Amino acid sequence: MLIWFLPAFLLFLAIGLPVFFGLIAAPGILLWLAGQEKDISLLYRNVYNGMDSFPLMAIPFFMLAGELMNRGGITIRIVEFSQALIGHLRGGLAQVNILSSIMFAGLSGSAVADTSALGSMLIPAMEKEGYTRRFAAAITAASSVIGPIIPPSGIMIIYAYVMGESVAALFLAGIVPGILVGVGLMFMVRAVADRYELPPARRVVTTGVELGRTEYWFSFVIVRLNIGWLLAQLVPLGEAPTALAEWLALGAGFLVAHGFMLGLRRAVSSDFRMVCKRAVVPMQTPILILGGILAGVFTPTEAAAVAVAYAIIVAFLILRTMTIRDLPDVLARAAMTSAVILLLVGAALAFKTVVSLSYAPQILADFILGLSENPLILLFLINLLLFVVGMFLDAGPAIIILGPILGPVFVDLGVHPVHFAIIMSVNLTVGLATPPMGLVLFVASSVSGERVETIAKAILPFLAIEIVVIFLITYIPAISMTVPRLTGFVQ
Amino acid sequence: MKLLHWLLLPFQTFNEFVLQLGRAVAIVAIALMVVAILIQVFFRYVLNNPLPWPDEAARFAMLWMTGLIAPLAYRRGGFVAIDMLVRALPERAAALLSLLLLTIAGIVLGWGIDIGLGEVTGFMSRAKTASLYYVSLDLEWVKVPRRWMMMSFFVGVVLLFVVNVELFLRSLITVLGGGDDLADIGPPEDEIMAE
Repeated sequence: MLIWFLPAFLLFLAIGLPVFFGLIAAPGILLWLAGQEKDISLLYRNVYNGMDSFPLMAIPFFMLAGELMNRGGITIRIVEFSQALIGHLRGGLAQVNILSSIMFAGLSGSAVADTSALGSMLIPAMEKEGYTRRFAAAITAASSVIGPIIPPSGIMIIYAYVMGESVAALFLAGIVPGILVGVGLMFMVRAVADRYELPPARRVVTTGVELGRTEYWFSFVIVRLNIGWLLAQLVPLGEAPTALAEWLALGAGFLVAHGFMLGLRRAVSSDFRMVCKRAVVPMQTPILILGGILAGVFTPTEAAAVAVAYAIIVAFLILRTMTIRDLPDVLARAAMTSAVILLLVGAALAFKTVVSLSYAPQILADFILGLSENPLILLFLINLLLFVVGMFLDAGPAIIILGPILGPVFVDLGVHPVHFAIIMSVNLTVGLATPPMGLVLFVASSVSGERVETIAKAILPFLAIEIVVIFLITYIPAISMTVPRLTGFVQ
Repeated sequence: MKLLHWLLLPFQTFNEFVLQLGRAVAIVAIALMVVAILIQVFFRYVLNNPLPWPDEAARFAMLWMTGLIAPLAYRRGGFVAIDMLVRALPERAAALLSLLLLTIAGIVLGWGIDIGLGEVTGFMSRAKTASLYYVSLDLEWVKVPRRWMMMSFFVGVVLLFVVNVELFLRSLITVLGGGDDLADIGPPEDEIMAE
C-alpha cells in the first residue's frame, strides 16, 4: 500500500499543493491508512533532524555572500571586465553576457540572481546596441543557468546532503560542465550571428575609471599572492618543509609574480589595467572558496562563512557601496530563502525514509530495467524524464524529490554517484530556462518587459545547445569526473 | 461576509506583528551563525585550538532562523509549488482549489502541532545539548536543554498553522466574492530568491 505514496504525491503536486506539504502529506496519509501512526511521528522527527545539520548551513551562507556581493556593486565590474576581454568577438554583447554569467556563477550560484543582476544591466545595453529585446532576454536567461552548475551551488549542497555525497566533490565536478555550457552558448551565438544580423562587435575598455586607494592596494597584493602561491607549489621543498621554507617560497613566488605583472604592464593600456584591477575583488571569491576547500583549509560550510566575511569586507570597507542600514534587508532575504529550502530538505529526508520503507527504489529499478538493460539507453530515458520534470518544477525541489528515488537505481547500474549528481543537477538546472514554468524565463520577462512566450521562443536555439551539453556530460563521464579525480576528492 | 472579515482580523493582526518580530530575530540568528562559524575558523586554523561550541551554537541559530522566518515566506507565497492549475482557473474556482490545498496543509500542520508537542515535552527533550551553556538564576553554568533547540521547529509549525488559518479565511472570503476588499500580503519587492 505504501508504494501509493508516489502517485499521491504527484497528484498533490499537480493540483498545486506546496512541495513541503506534499512531501509530508502523501506518505503521512498512507501511513495513517496503513495503521502505522508511530511512523508519522518519525516523519516529524526526520524533518527536524534533517534541518539540524552543519553542512546545510552552507546554503544560507552562500546565499548571503552572493546577495552581499550583488548589492555591493560587483556586477558592473564583471561586465566591464568581460567587455574588455571578449567584446570584439562576433556577437559582442551576447558573448559578454555569457562570460559575465560564468564569472557571476563563481560568486552567487543562483540563476535568478544572475538573470536579475546581469539582465537589468545588459538587456538595455544590448537593445541600445541594436540587439532585439527578445534575443537579449533569451541569452540572459539561457546563460544564467550556469550559475547553479559552477560552484558555489545551492542545489549541489542539497544533493550532497540528501544523498550523502561530498559537497567538495560535487563542486569540483561542476566546474567543467558549467564552463562547457558557457562555451556551447558562445558557439551558438557565433553560429546565429549572421542569420540574426547581430550588430557588429567591438571591444569596449571603459575609460576614466578610478580606483580607491584601499582597492588599489588590495588588488595589487591579492593578484601577486594568488600567482605567488601557485608558483610556490612548484618549488620542491621536500616531504616535511619547515614553516620558514614555505614562507620563503611564497615570498619568492610573490616577487616573481610582481616581475611578471610589471612585464604585462607594458603590453596593455592603462585603462585595460584599471578594468582588470576592478575585477580582482569579485573574482577573488571563487578563488577563496575553491582554494580553501582544495587546500584542505576549510570545509564547504566554513568556506561559505569565510565568503560572507569577505563579501562584508568588500562591500563595507573596500568598495564602500553598502551601509549598515542595508544589512538587515540583505540578511532577511538570505534567511527567508534559506528557511524555505531548509524546510524542503528536512521534508525530503522524511520522504526518503518512506521511500526506503516502501521498497520504491527496488520496484522502480525493476521497472527501469524492464525497459532496457543498456545503461546508455536508460541514461537517455532518464535525461528525458528529468528534462520534462524540469519544465514544471524548480531544480532544488526536483532534486530533493527525485534524488533519493533515482540515485540508488543508477548507482547500482554502475554510474558513479558524483557523475549521476552532475547529470541531474545540470539537466534540472537547464529546466529553469524551459517553458512553461522556467523560473528564469519569468525573471527575464520582468527585467526586460518582454513577454514570457516570446522569450521562450527565442531561447530555443540556446536550449538546443544546452541539451547537447547534457548528453555530452552524460556519455563522457570524464567531463565531470576529471577535476574531482585529479584533486583526490573522488577515487 | 462581515463575520468572516471579523474572524480574519485577529489572525491578520497577529501575523503582521509576530512575523515581523520573527523576521527581526531571524536576522539576528543568521548574523550569529556567521559569527559563530568565523570564530570556529579562527580558533581552529589560526590558533590551532578548536572550540566545542560554535558548531552547535550555529545550528541552534539556524533552526530558530528557519522556524521564525519560514511562516513569513509562506504568508507571502514563497513556498515552492506548481501553481499552473491555480493560475489557469477563474478567480473563484482558484480560491475554491486553494481552500482544498489549505485544508490539506492545515491537516499536515495540525499533525505537526500534535506530534511536536509530544516531542518538546517528551523523553528526547530532556537531553542536554553537547556544548552550549547558559547562566542559571543560581548563577551557575548549566547545559542548554535540547528542548530549546527542538522548540524552534514546533514554534515554526504553530506559526505556519496560524498563517494557514489566515490564508484559509482569505480564500473563503474570495470564494464568497469579497476578494477585492482583502489587503495585499505578497512580498514588498521580489523578496524570495530561488536557485
